[in-house]
Amino acid sequence: MLKKEQNDLLTQTGPGTPMGRFYRSYWIPALLAEELPENDCPPVRVKLLSERMIAFRDTEGRYGLMDEFCPHRGVSLWFGRNEECGLRCPYHGWKFDVTGQCVDIPSDPTNSGFASKVRLQSYPLVARGGVLWTYMGPPEQQPPLPEWEFAMVPASQSYSSKRLQECNWLQAMEGGIDSSHVSFLHRGDINTDPLFKGARGNQYNLGDLRPVFEVVESAGGLYIGARRNAENGQYYWRITQYVMPSFTMIAPRGNHSVHGHFWIPIDDENCWAWSFDYHPIRELTEVELAAMRAGKGVHARVEPVTYRPVANKDNDYLMDRAAQKAGRTYSGVEGIAMQDASLQESMGPIVDRTKETLVSTDSGIIMARQRLLRAVKALVDDGVVPPGVDLDHQRVRSAAVVLPPEQPFKDGAREAMIARPGVAPASV
Amino acid sequence: MSSAAEARFRIQTPPPTARAIAVIPLDPDSELLVAKLSEEAWGGVTFLPASAVTDLIRDLSADLVVMVVAAGARADAAAVIGEACSDRRVPTAALLVRAGAASDAAISRTLAEIRPWSLMVVIANDDDYVKELLRSYR
Repeated sequence: MLKKEQNDLLTQTGPGTPMGRFYRSYWIPALLAEELPENDCPPVRVKLLSERMIAFRDTEGRYGLMDEFCPHRGVSLWFGRNEECGLRCPYHGWKFDVTGQCVDIPSDPTNSGFASKVRLQSYPLVARGGVLWTYMGPPEQQPPLPEWEFAMVPASQSYSSKRLQECNWLQAMEGGIDSSHVSFLHRGDINTDPLFKGARGNQYNLGDLRPVFEVVESAGGLYIGARRNAENGQYYWRITQYVMPSFTMIAPRGNHSVHGHFWIPIDDENCWAWSFDYHPIRELTEVELAAMRAGKGVHARVEPVTYRPVANKDNDYLMDRAAQKAGRTYSGVEGIAMQDASLQESMGPIVDRTKETLVSTDSGIIMARQRLLRAVKALVDDGVVPPGVDLDHQRVRSAAVVLPPEQPFKDGAREAMIARPGVAPASV
Repeated sequence: MSSAAEARFRIQTPPPTARAIAVIPLDPDSELLVAKLSEEAWGGVTFLPASAVTDLIRDLSADLVVMVVAAGARADAAAVIGEACSDRRVPTAALLVRAGAASDAAISRTLAEIRPWSLMVVIANDDDYVKELLRSYR
């Protein structure tokens, strides 16, 4: 349970807010590269951290992300003409380059050079790993480009998707580190989803329906371990990585690809749920890619352009009560992604954490909130760079391991939780 | 619909959730920490001294028993407490504090004793999380 002021602090990410400043310390996913597929393609509206922007790719292949609205009369540049290394407002022809610099004001007959004094707020937009990343903080504090492993492996080894989630970022992220719901909500999927089934570790899941959880502080955030009984008195651990503010990586199963998420605020009541699947040492197969595109695993079927899930609140997430009753799904909603999103959206646009009834198995969520509150305070009060900015905090992996009963998993899986090129993931 | 607009239609009276939580330290260092916490006003949380294990398991009326132990410390009492709680279906959680200053071997020793008897283990580098965790469990 949080006090109202704590809830407000963590959930509000607009300009001038403490959490907004926190999020602006990081490179964050802004668009899929497929949204700007070629030079001079149509511009795309982007809203992140409650700021409305326009993204485009110019004639030379440079990416731009800037204020959506022309400074002349406030027209949306979504209507803009993307041509000759700039985006031209169709109202009066004002033209801007990818840095937001006005480069032409045709209605200025004197060619006075006034255009050079006009510049839209803009942010860098960089392609890495099939994702276009942006940094919205002070330019002089811009960190190095992100090095999450899924974005660094060859393109053939990685797949990313995004979907609109119609709730605040924090309740979505908390679902990502809440291991205790998996045995209930996703019970039907572990042995049926093509991206999970067949792993030896699944037998531990099914043989021990009451995992015990262990939460350990890490440099970037937290490790959340779920422990089940394995053979010979050992423990089977599934270790989730949480790196601030909203990166999670789930332990792999067998030789399947590894997956994880980011949750990026659009505004205080909506977020983008980013999902990635990758394998550190092999290409994704056509079967795997087809499953991901079809919304299996942690991905979801989405509508084109809007990336809104096909199953959404307007159609009750295509609820199937017969499937729920028959045990094919626990909640009646199909697919892991929408099983989570439907419940998280039902909490309300911003869940009221003053009214919770937490239990000890929520300790991961409790610790994550406290880590965030501390880190935000340290940033705002003392300018301390948040955890997760440091590239070492990003070069991490989740792990599934079997360990002796007394061994701390942070010790036993230490090497496995570091991303090393060419090294297979720790999986069971 | 905005959060404020949506919230208008939610029943505003929260359900009664007064829970009884018993907090017991398992070693001298944790005992000092727990004693300090007990100086504040807590509703529904009972702080016990390490010597009160027998009293605790004799009169086990708590909804949750939280064991606090410093990394590297002996935690023999965890088995006694854990067995009693298991018999009476009382959930347990263990907070292992000061892990930041302890070696992996030291943490191992303590974990070996508390893991079999805790449904949830939190390994915290410092003491400050204990207060927040207890506040959240209430």
